Amino acid sequence: MPEWIEVIIRSFSLLIILFFMTKWLGKKQISQLNIFEYITGIVLGGIVAIHTIDPDSNFIYALLSMFIWFIIPFAVEYISLKSKRFRDLTDGKSTVFIQDGKIMEDNLKQEGYSADDLLGKLRDNGVFLASDVEFAVLEPSGNLNVLPKKENRPLTAKDLGLKLASEKEPQTIVMDGEVLLESLANLSLNKNWLETELDKQNVSIENVFLAQADNNGQLYLDLYDDKISVPQPTEKALLLANMKKCQADLELFALATENKQSKALYERNSEKLKHAIQLIQPYL
Amino acid sequence: MTIGAQVKGCYSAIKSVEASLQILTAKTNEQEQQTKLKEVERIITEVKKDLRQQVIHLSKEEPQYK
Repeated sequence: MPEWIEVIIRSFSLLIILFFMTKWLGKKQISQLNIFEYITGIVLGGIVAIHTIDPDSNFIYALLSMFIWFIIPFAVEYISLKSKRFRDLTDGKSTVFIQDGKIMEDNLKQEGYSADDLLGKLRDNGVFLASDVEFAVLEPSGNLNVLPKKENRPLTAKDLGLKLASEKEPQTIVMDGEVLLESLANLSLNKNWLETELDKQNVSIENVFLAQADNNGQLYLDLYDDKISVPQPTEKALLLANMKKCQADLELFALATENKQSKALYERNSEKLKHAIQLIQPYL
Repeated sequence: MTIGAQVKGCYSAIKSVEASLQILTAKTNEQEQQTKLKEVERIITEVKKDLRQQVIHLSKEEPQYK
């Protein structure tokens, strides 16, 4: 066998093996790799590189060493999934830098962080005053996670006592003009519905680059032809406005009439509508 | 516009609100939202009934504007 054919065969087979090995080793992001996983990756690549271009080397050796460099990280990962203690050993533990608003100087020293490093990391998190922090922890990956004191946290709906409607994830139902039937089915809608909605907006499916729908069945479109403007769904806003208008009308009638019975009726219904608006507002 | 006509306008607006609510209830597939929408729809229906009575009452009071 000429050497160049051997190189081709070796390259192909090793590439395929390498592809599957890296797949099986999991899909942690490169940034999340700890140093051990990083090194195994490089060594695997090195083995493949050496054995593809050197036809004199024994191919069995390549397979053997690749297998070992694959099976040990694989086993380590598997065991560390099962055992917390093993995980602490392989992945490392997180270190608390700030607790109850106080900086833990000993922990800083242990991790080799100076006060400047800590302040820099805090600034990464948008905190410029160390005393604004309730708790900060250095993750094994080297990220510092910060829990600001309650008064420095962003305002949430919970703080304001607002009741919000829960919202399911929107589904992408058309991509590049192709209908994704599975996501349509997730919303318990069908192709007929989509066609009707598109007809309503006078748009052909071939012209749709992206279409998404939320769980209220509202359709959001983006077209290939950017000159055509697509109206955003206004149904809900319109409904709320209509309810508010009716309520205002009833209040007006109540003021205008002198008939006691009618006045009472208008007032009662105006109150009812007001209540209805309050109930429905979070959903619109 | 007479009061009768104004109340009639409000009555039809309420009917449209009721219909919109029904459409939304049919479209949503979330339980909690559906119950809320139904509750609001029930209130709107009550208001609608009252207004209907009022429309009839007013049309009797001012028959010349019918």
